[in-house]
Amino acid sequence: MLLCSLPALADDLFLDGQPLPQVLTATRLKQSAAAVPGSMTVIDSELIKASGARDVSELLRLVPGMMVGYTTGNQASVNYHGTSASDARRMQVLIDGRSVYRAGLATVDWSDIPVAMEDIERIEVFRGPNTVSYGANALMAVVNILTRSPTNSHGSRMKVTRGERGINDFYASQGVGWETGDLRLSLSGQQDDGFDSNAVGADRRDGRRLNRFSLAVSQTLNAQQSLDWQLNVKEGTNQRPYTYTPVFDGISEHGSNSDITAKDYAGSLRWNVDFNPDHSLYIQGSAQQWDRRQIWKACDAKVSFSPQLTQLWQLNPNYAERLARNMETYSQGSAPPGSAAEQALANQVLDQWKHQGGKDNVCGDIDQSTRESRYDLELQDTLSLSDSLRLLTGFNYRYDRADSDTYFNGTLDDTTWRLFGQLEWRPSEHWLLQGGAMYEDTHLSGHSLTPRVAVNYLINPRHGLRAVYSEAVRSPDMFENNVNWSYRVTNLSSPTYGQNSGQYFVVTRGPGNLDKELMRSRELGYNGFFADLGLNVDVKLFYDEITDMISSPLRNNQYIASNANSSRFTGAESQLDWRVSNADRLRLTYAYVDASSSNPLDKAQTARNSGSAGWLREWGQGWSSAVFYYGDDALNQYRFQRVDLRVAKRIAVAKTNVELAGMLQQRLDNQPTTWADNNYDHRHVLYFSAELDF
Amino acid sequence: MGDQSRMTLLLILLRWCRGLLAGLLLAAPAWSADILLTAAQDSAGLQAFTQALAHQRPDDQVTFTPLRDLPAPSRLPSSTRLILLDLPGLDWRLQDAQGPPTLVLRISRLQARQRMGNTHPAKISLLWSDPPLERQLRLIASILPQAHRIGVLYSADSEFLLRELMQFAKPMGLEIVPQLWGDTNDSRPLQTLFRNSDVLLGLDDPQLYNPKTVKNLLLSSYAQQLPLVGPNAGFVRAGSLASTYSDQPDWLAVLDRLLDHAPAKWPHTLYPEHFKVVGNPQVARSLGIEQVDEAAVAARLAEGEKRP
Repeated sequence: MLLCSLPALADDLFLDGQPLPQVLTATRLKQSAAAVPGSMTVIDSELIKASGARDVSELLRLVPGMMVGYTTGNQASVNYHGTSASDARRMQVLIDGRSVYRAGLATVDWSDIPVAMEDIERIEVFRGPNTVSYGANALMAVVNILTRSPTNSHGSRMKVTRGERGINDFYASQGVGWETGDLRLSLSGQQDDGFDSNAVGADRRDGRRLNRFSLAVSQTLNAQQSLDWQLNVKEGTNQRPYTYTPVFDGISEHGSNSDITAKDYAGSLRWNVDFNPDHSLYIQGSAQQWDRRQIWKACDAKVSFSPQLTQLWQLNPNYAERLARNMETYSQGSAPPGSAAEQALANQVLDQWKHQGGKDNVCGDIDQSTRESRYDLELQDTLSLSDSLRLLTGFNYRYDRADSDTYFNGTLDDTTWRLFGQLEWRPSEHWLLQGGAMYEDTHLSGHSLTPRVAVNYLINPRHGLRAVYSEAVRSPDMFENNVNWSYRVTNLSSPTYGQNSGQYFVVTRGPGNLDKELMRSRELGYNGFFADLGLNVDVKLFYDEITDMISSPLRNNQYIASNANSSRFTGAESQLDWRVSNADRLRLTYAYVDASSSNPLDKAQTARNSGSAGWLREWGQGWSSAVFYYGDDALNQYRFQRVDLRVAKRIAVAKTNVELAGMLQQRLDNQPTTWADNNYDHRHVLYFSAELDF
Repeated sequence: MGDQSRMTLLLILLRWCRGLLAGLLLAAPAWSADILLTAAQDSAGLQAFTQALAHQRPDDQVTFTPLRDLPAPSRLPSSTRLILLDLPGLDWRLQDAQGPPTLVLRISRLQARQRMGNTHPAKISLLWSDPPLERQLRLIASILPQAHRIGVLYSADSEFLLRELMQFAKPMGLEIVPQLWGDTNDSRPLQTLFRNSDVLLGLDDPQLYNPKTVKNLLLSSYAQQLPLVGPNAGFVRAGSLASTYSDQPDWLAVLDRLLDHAPAKWPHTLYPEHFKVVGNPQVARSLGIEQVDEAAVAARLAEGEKRP
């Protein structure tokens, strides 16, 4: 054993060189790919660059089983295996360990994540539930975005990208190092027009414009301690099509957009302590804020703000809706049949419609802005008890707050406590047993305990078989459980019911007693590296069930969330990464997913067959190329097939490197992207980038 | 006389001769050698080594004298065998062209070049402390047979080793990917090298491999799943995958052989033929590499070094 023999050498005259710290300690070393207790896909910096992708969501097409769709051009919806058509609420997304799914609405705004592609070192995707390591939202998968360490970001980089579809991006960064630390400052921006036309051929309003600022610093305090801290800010505008349709007939005036101004702020501080080579811990604190300012002009009949209609809705929303949709008809006769109270109110509303100017057009501002905040504190301790036994424990405290008049009628907050522990035990060279549990207590939705256990059999250090059983929970988010959804219209064009603002009669409330969703996942897998060939293969068979599932779509008329649904996903996935030679790399992924769900909407986002294929080549003399194919059948009934080609030429002049690259994306099918409203005029897009580093 | 009795007589004669020889040696100290060890700094390790050498050579007079107590080298008896154990000792020895035959230990190729350039002063034998490059390459070939691109960081000081390294690498089918690392505060050269290498070979160059750079070097190469071999045994403990090295027993064996010979036959420079292999099992495990069987690999390498 090395660790026994080396200290003995310490007195040796010929071996007592300068004292070196133990760097790759038992607590720092990770499991080899074959010994990972689950399925992992790593998108490295070479792939990120070769893909030419401008967004993290596009990169995730390289992950088997990942379903990448778009709600609009600036709203990617990414799900692993499926569910939720519009939001990735069952996946944990982290940047350097900081969770970025929104505190209140529990979605991930991929386009607004304050990280530039150029700052990403790699993305590790844990395919499968892992609440033990990543917390309660890690229901179906975990996307861990790791930025380049400041230590490895020295020098200056500048990049501009220009192309069709209004593509106009820039990136600039400066990295410096000093005796005890390193720093990276980067500024970046992104702009494009989104999709070109909607289902009826009209212009699609879904462009975006954003700017980001990012500062990352790592500092060594002494031999045992170091600090890493980051500040990230993002501001920008996301266009949204104007979708407000008046409830009442005969209203012609309307607004032009419901664009969002989005600002994201994040700061984190991590303190790493190595007590000794066998014991380390870190404490990480972070604060984040998501500001979404969204105000649009809404026009409707004045009766929309009738107190009586609001009362009627609270009494019986179906009755109220029937009345509202057929106002003109009922106003000729009498109120629709119902209880005495309903009819009494209905007659008052009809009277307002006929005689009190209720049918008059009135316009005002709807403010759907939100402000969400999160404060998070985590402590994680890693203890290597022996060469074959490692214990990881920790606790986490999180405070989430959401502020929105529209969604929550004010402010709502939640606190979460979490304890987790995991043990890695290697009883022999071939067997590895990893198990753990997480206990979580959430103020709004109670407590839960989720276990996870994995067995790896290593045929040799590069080839391993694994069997994994894990449970995971997802707490209902504030929106699902506690929504208090109503629209207040301000700045009304003419006084209505004596006011120049009014509460829209539709009010939706969350049930408040939703239970957690439960995921049970079973997995068999193989991971192998054929060193002679340079070939890495991973195969996974899975059987995942979600019960007590909250699957109702988020709509503001009669939103009734419940735990009544369930889903099941079974299938197989494989990924193959082959360095054929020093110049060629081939990469293939394929997933077959069979989904069944009690709510048909939950399987619409599952493509039965999906995958990718890539070929990266260095041609010499600075030339390189990459071709990728991405395909899935029937994501929300629409097929997706695209080939991307990137050709780049690198020129080195003294200490300066210039890279010029051209990128062509060619759709092979004629289908809209995910939804009928997402169409491009041309099936291809071309963009170019020039990058300078010195 | 039968063959057997003739043989017996010969044996008796031989025994008698040997007895006489031993008696002569004991009686006449002139036949034994005065071995003088010196260094600027005394230490427990030095004392232990002196004792071990004395034990190894019972017939010789092994003494340790601190450098400050010694006269100029030319004033020492020419029959003395001088063993220098640190660089101040070498500086002292180099001040005189004349002096007793000298063995210099604990000196690396790089240190010698910095002090002496390409010159080889007479009567001085340099016994290299840095693991021989060819042996390190063979170690790589032995434990990482798939690795072909050997990334090598060098500084202006260690650049002279590259040519030799490439000469050794070529017949082994290995490609040396050299990368100048002029400013160790700038990690860009590392990233460039890591992209083009299958394994890193550390040169024993303290400007590149030192307590300040070790963390960044090992963490960033590990992040790329790239093993480091060398530069010496100390780095293996820090997180390098493996290295060859020679410890005190190895050096005692080397010295024992040299001291048996007349100083005129001592080589100008020498890498120790006795060595061991050390591996870091935890790093190997994490990189998905078979554990290094230290004894077996060392034996295999030693076998390969035997000249026909």
